[in-house]
Amino acid sequence: MQENMTTQPLMKATIFSALLASVALLIIILPAEYNIDPTGVGRKLGLTVFSEPASVPVSADNASTGERETILITVPANKGIEYKFIMNQYAKLEYEWLTDGTALYHDLHGEPEGDTTGYYESFTIATASEMKGSFTTPFAGSHGWYFKNETDAPVQVQLIVKGDYSSHALKQ
Amino acid sequence: MVPEMALAHGVDDKTRVFLENNTGVQFIPFLYIGAKHMVTGYDHLLFLLGVIFFLYRPKDILLYVSMFTIGHSLTLLFGVIADVGVNAYIIDAIIGLSVVYKGFDNLGGFKRLLGHSPNPKIAVLIFGLFHGFGLATKIQEFSLPQDGLFTNLIAFNIGVELGQFTALAFILLIISYWRRHKSFLKFSTTTNTLLMSAGFMLMGYQLVGFAVS
Repeated sequence: MQENMTTQPLMKATIFSALLASVALLIIILPAEYNIDPTGVGRKLGLTVFSEPASVPVSADNASTGERETILITVPANKGIEYKFIMNQYAKLEYEWLTDGTALYHDLHGEPEGDTTGYYESFTIATASEMKGSFTTPFAGSHGWYFKNETDAPVQVQLIVKGDYSSHALKQ
Repeated sequence: MVPEMALAHGVDDKTRVFLENNTGVQFIPFLYIGAKHMVTGYDHLLFLLGVIFFLYRPKDILLYVSMFTIGHSLTLLFGVIADVGVNAYIIDAIIGLSVVYKGFDNLGGFKRLLGHSPNPKIAVLIFGLFHGFGLATKIQEFSLPQDGLFTNLIAFNIGVELGQFTALAFILLIISYWRRHKSFLKFSTTTNTLLMSAGFMLMGYQLVGFAVS
């Protein structure tokens, strides 16, 4: 411990450390970590990019046309993948999927838009080779399947959907 | 219900695959997770840096680091076994506070304010207890299966100590080299001021996280 510090430099050191921390929090840490940017400096520095919702490119190719759409997904051997649909709140999706008969562990879930905590809500968790149903989104965000292939060979999933989504894609 | 899926979601892909495919006793992987957490856990390291900053004798360093180890081992084991759910943001904010505390104490702040420095060994032990709860919440995020839990936990704890030992060796190496130069005392005020500031940053970061979560 330092014995020679008098009150004044001690106060100075303490106030300086708190000020430095506040500035770093306001212009760097909070914008980068939580997308909270009261000064706007974080955005100018390009730091808010981390907290912006992961954007799945929206194109006419994969937006809902209101028609039934068939998507082929390959789940590599011993791997899990996620296939997601970007949907508004209270949007409905009818779905049906099947494999060649190989059962896949799957978790149908939704992640709220802009969430960075990793929170998600599961609608169905099971191991099966086919499933049919529909769901209505409780919140806006990305909704879809986590498929896990526990076999040593790739499995193809035929996914047929009909509903309201702005885009869909394999989550990278 | 498959709770491990829900919680493993925030964990990186490799760890997720590991948790999905492994149950039972996994000694070495948990040892590794523990060590990695400590080596990359800058909040724990900043506190350790503060603790040993003015400790010159190996005996003192050993004593203080042991107090810290006892503290965090107790709450790490207790937290997971008793399944005590402490809010991670609050615990991490307290860990930030421990860094501020130690920086302020090193500057002679408590002596100046209170006329005496609160027993530093007890302080290290108490903050060690909080650091242990922090480690416990990290390992609870893995939502470990009951099968082999105790052994895995011991492995994690040993990993934490190995990681702490490794990190400490590097900190000591640098700090003892630095001590031989005049700049050590010249910059010790600056260093401890920056240490306090880093602690304030950690606190702010975690408290805002708590507020928005």
